[in-house]
Amino acid sequence: MHLRLQAYGMPYRLPVMRRSRVQAGKGKFMSKIISMQEAAALVSDGTVLGIGGNVLHRAPMAFIRELVRQRKSNLKLVKTAGAMDVDMLCLGECVTSVDAGFISYETEFSLAMHYRKAVENGRVKGNEHACYTVISALRAASYGIGFMAVKGLTVSDLIEENDYFTRIQDPFTNEMVTVVKAIRPDVAVIHVQEADEEGNARITGPLFEDVLLSRAAKSVILTAEHIVPGSLFSSGAKKADIPHFLVGGVVHAAKGAAPCSCAGNYDIDTKGIGTFKEIKDQEGLAVYLSAYEKADRRGWGGKNDGKR
Amino acid sequence: MMERGNRICDIMVCAMARMIQDGDKVFHGVSSHMPMIAVLLAKELHAPHAVHLNIPGGVDPSPRKLKKYTSTGSELLDGARSYFPLMEVFDLSMRGGLDMAFLSGVQFDLRGNVNASVIGNYQKPKVRLPGGAGSAVLIPTAKRAVIWRTKHDKRTFVNQVDFITTKGNVDRIVTPLCIFKMENGELVLDTIHETSSLKEVQDNTGFPVKYSRIAITPSPAKNELSVLKRIDPGDFRNIEF
Repeated sequence: MHLRLQAYGMPYRLPVMRRSRVQAGKGKFMSKIISMQEAAALVSDGTVLGIGGNVLHRAPMAFIRELVRQRKSNLKLVKTAGAMDVDMLCLGECVTSVDAGFISYETEFSLAMHYRKAVENGRVKGNEHACYTVISALRAASYGIGFMAVKGLTVSDLIEENDYFTRIQDPFTNEMVTVVKAIRPDVAVIHVQEADEEGNARITGPLFEDVLLSRAAKSVILTAEHIVPGSLFSSGAKKADIPHFLVGGVVHAAKGAAPCSCAGNYDIDTKGIGTFKEIKDQEGLAVYLSAYEKADRRGWGGKNDGKR
Repeated sequence: MMERGNRICDIMVCAMARMIQDGDKVFHGVSSHMPMIAVLLAKELHAPHAVHLNIPGGVDPSPRKLKKYTSTGSELLDGARSYFPLMEVFDLSMRGGLDMAFLSGVQFDLRGNVNASVIGNYQKPKVRLPGGAGSAVLIPTAKRAVIWRTKHDKRTFVNQVDFITTKGNVDRIVTPLCIFKMENGELVLDTIHETSSLKEVQDNTGFPVKYSRIAITPSPAKNELSVLKRIDPGDFRNIEF
């Protein structure tokens, strides 16, 4: 039932949700609040998916888990520096390529073994970037141009090995410059601390590359710790970092980054990460995912709303 | 002669800290506890005006409590007065404004090539490594790139790297045994740690070790060690050993 949005055939034009928690006539906008299942259903197989956050910080883990539950396939992931999110999608066999500068947990939790194995056995294409070339590729997309010049990438086998890098002549100085092909994610999923029902979002703490990602992508899905009244942004000194018109759907997802951290709300759950790192196979993954299922889907709004 | 029982992590962190000059704009990235602590140490002692740049974007943070699992957490915004995140640090380096960057890798060779990408063939790798993160653009553009690696063996220091992730302005490579410097396009032994020996360095390096003199890496001073205890009470500088 929850997969039906995919059948519409236009997965990237995220529909503005018509169910408003604000009673008809009261609000000037339509609420974009949808359930986690509906949001994940908007990601069709083969989607170029930009993932917000950085390594173990503010990764949209509840959404990632739902993608695996819905057995997505052939996703093309984009992130400057990923960890558990990319690793879990690789274990879930949802991925066909990963464009990133760095995929690893940091020191304490060490390597992303599922990603590593998936690349080594040829199931996933590891498209290595410098983190900055992911940024440059997203900038190109956000500027509406097909490529971006990158000064620093000069001596590197990455240029010859990857078709998204090449060298061209600077028409003004005649010097050679490396360029990177634009990356325009079909969908960006970003976990934020606060969003309103219209889709304005405010991030606490490090933004990482999420503001850029929201501009580069064709559409944005937000998962939010708290759904707040928009008046909080209109009256407050710090405005929303992501404006509503870029956003296709908003999911209320308290603890939506756990077991990764969410600045101002919670730090990592060491056990939640450690348990995942012990998983060896699909069965283990299914058990792990089911333990989070109820919590991941409890946000109000959308078709499954029975709580408010 | 010298204080006995200095730990390798302390020798390395103090050596890295001393490479930072007062006023340097200096960056460290992900999985980088040792450089992060070295920057905090330098700013407490000889380089109070060094500018500490990092991924979360707090300029000159004074983190209330470092985290064991990360060097990219929101604690690097604590006490910072301005925000200058990763993408802007990259831009700064591209336009020639970054003095120093701490980076790492998995393989290094005599000519200063760095591999953080793959062992074996890139398209069909035997081992897919995490990737160079910022290295491929920062090592060529930062005025000085300092590399640290907590392993020193013949698989790390090789005759020829499997894959050139990058090559550029490598100034020093700090290992658990010694410090190499780049001189005329080649890695040359700079100093050996008091805990090691020339023979140990030679036995664990995959190319002939070049040197013009034998010097010992200066030991951590008392005040350095006491500041380290204060800024890193969890001893995260030692987690890779």
